[in-house]
Amino acid sequence: MIHSIQSEWLKTRRSLASWLVVIGGLFIPLIFLYDRLRHFSTMAENNAKPGIWTYYFKQCWQYMSILLLPLGIILTVSLITQIEYRNNTWKQVHTTPQRLSTIFLAKLVVILTMLLQFFLIFNGGIWLIVALPSVFGTVDYPSAPIPLDTFGEFNHRFLVGSLPIVGLQYLLSLHFRNFMVPLGVGLAIFVATIIGLNWEYGYLIPYSYLSYFFMNNTQHLLDQGINIYYCALGYFAVFTGLAWLSYRYQRSKN
Amino acid sequence: MGHCIHTTGLNYFFSKKEQVLHDIHLHVPEGSIYGFLGPNGAGKTTTLRLLLGLLRQQSGDIHIFGQPFEPNRQSILGRIGSLIESPSLYSHLTARENLMIWQKVYQCPKNRIEAVLRLTGIADTGEKKTGQFSLGMKQRLGIAVALLHAPRLLILDEPTNGLDPGGIVEMRELLRQINQESGITIVISSHLLSEIEKLVTDVGIIHRGKMQFEGPLDELMRVRRSHSSLVIETGAPDKALALAQQTCGEARLINGKINLPHQDKTTIAALNHQFVMADIPVYQITGKEDDLESIFMQMTATTPTQNPLL
Ligand SMILES: Nc1ncnc2c1ncn2[C@@H]1O[C@H](COP(=O)(O)OP(=O)(O)OP(=O)(O)O)[C@@H](O)[C@H]1O
Ligand SMILES: [Mg+2]
Repeated sequence: MIHSIQSEWLKTRRSLASWLVVIGGLFIPLIFLYDRLRHFSTMAENNAKPGIWTYYFKQCWQYMSILLLPLGIILTVSLITQIEYRNNTWKQVHTTPQRLSTIFLAKLVVILTMLLQFFLIFNGGIWLIVALPSVFGTVDYPSAPIPLDTFGEFNHRFLVGSLPIVGLQYLLSLHFRNFMVPLGVGLAIFVATIIGLNWEYGYLIPYSYLSYFFMNNTQHLLDQGINIYYCALGYFAVFTGLAWLSYRYQRSKN
Repeated sequence: MGHCIHTTGLNYFFSKKEQVLHDIHLHVPEGSIYGFLGPNGAGKTTTLRLLLGLLRQQSGDIHIFGQPFEPNRQSILGRIGSLIESPSLYSHLTARENLMIWQKVYQCPKNRIEAVLRLTGIADTGEKKTGQFSLGMKQRLGIAVALLHAPRLLILDEPTNGLDPGGIVEMRELLRQINQESGITIVISSHLLSEIEKLVTDVGIIHRGKMQFEGPLDELMRVRRSHSSLVIETGAPDKALALAQQTCGEARLINGKINLPHQDKTTIAALNHQFVMADIPVYQITGKEDDLESIFMQMTATTPTQNPLL
């Protein structure tokens, strides 16, 4: 299994997907960093505020969780499976002495690893917004400690909120040779999510959890006995199971 | 001698109406180079895909290395190298990176990568991405991938696609060499008999999803010999024809030349003597051997029941 994962990981080397992870992770932090440098005079004052970390954390995640992360996952998962379709390499993969389940899981592990990689880069980027100016000694490093517990908790939930998107996109992009299908369906659900946020059953939409977790307003749902954390995990399990079945019983292994 | 591949009764339907393979029996002897021949759309690729488990088996049996395929899928696949239709290459990676991907999966020694690159003559492509390779270079790398884990059986679907004449000769030499040195069995499909006739030891011919011939190359050669003919060009065709018919029975006039079935030397000499005695000028006597290509054409041009050769 470990060799299969290594093999899958090699395929992403220099691929568009691997660039997307890096660029996607640094894009928003770089904009905020630029913005800080532009307002250089207020920087020292801001760095002294106790809420400085939380401020940038929230700012960055606002755009990321509602907008960019869902889109990024939709694109990345398609790109990863598209590597085999576009190069016509499935036939070679399927004549290697690997179990189908191994191939299926190795690819999923690679996708999830990239997701983790993205989380690390993005959080690192947020840290840089605040810390980088002090590295050059122009302003003091913030005295306020980083609220690691809160950030950890948010990251954890965002990760879980991403899983249903990974699951369904994996299902679609494994099944359809034409990448417009997973992209189109993914975008449609994404738009439905944004519209559905004000709807009382919006939490049923599998791509909505990132937004719910960001807005942090799930109390009324909890009161009704609905835990969207488990909804997200449930959707992920169902989608991944379906993806496996569709992959396992495909008539032709290309 | 055992069979490396043995199939019985393979049928395949892409849809209810479209039956692509009819009752395919294959017997590929261990250690042979087996030419799998047929015109475009005959079902070569479909058959090879079935052998590799790329298509779900619908009927019949497949035995490879003496074992049924499905229950031993992984252990069998571990000993097969394949190139189906087009080389499977990751276009954003270099030749070495491509091979590394398969090396990880097969867990073969790392030095095999350089070995197969040298063997296929593409060791000096360096940092070049395979997406920028020429057709022939891609094909060579595809073969390198198939050879990487030193398989016992090599299944190559039209591997000479896109190779220049020099490349085709090189490839033929390479395959012959690995077949002789390590006794590996090779199945190679083609729609050109002439291309592989110098290489193969055994032949299977498929047309419209049905096997038309299977056997050693010698046997195909015997069929060819029995179909060779004699062509005589004379100054008086009609007179000569009557004489030839008298002497040999069967004779026909084609394009003003006399065509006879295969004759032994004394008969030819006798016939020539008769012509000379009858004052018929003889310009040319040639033996015409039907080349394999035309036998192949005959076999694949007719349905088995009308086929004069079978
Ligand atoms: N995926 C598919 N769906 C439906 N029909 C198919 C499919 N693949 C092949 N066929 C049909 O099966 C028949 C045999 O095709 P196959 O690719 O096996 O031929 P081939 O002998 O390899 O030909 P070629 O020399 O052109 O490669 C053809 O009539 C083709 O149209
Ligand atoms: Mg073919």
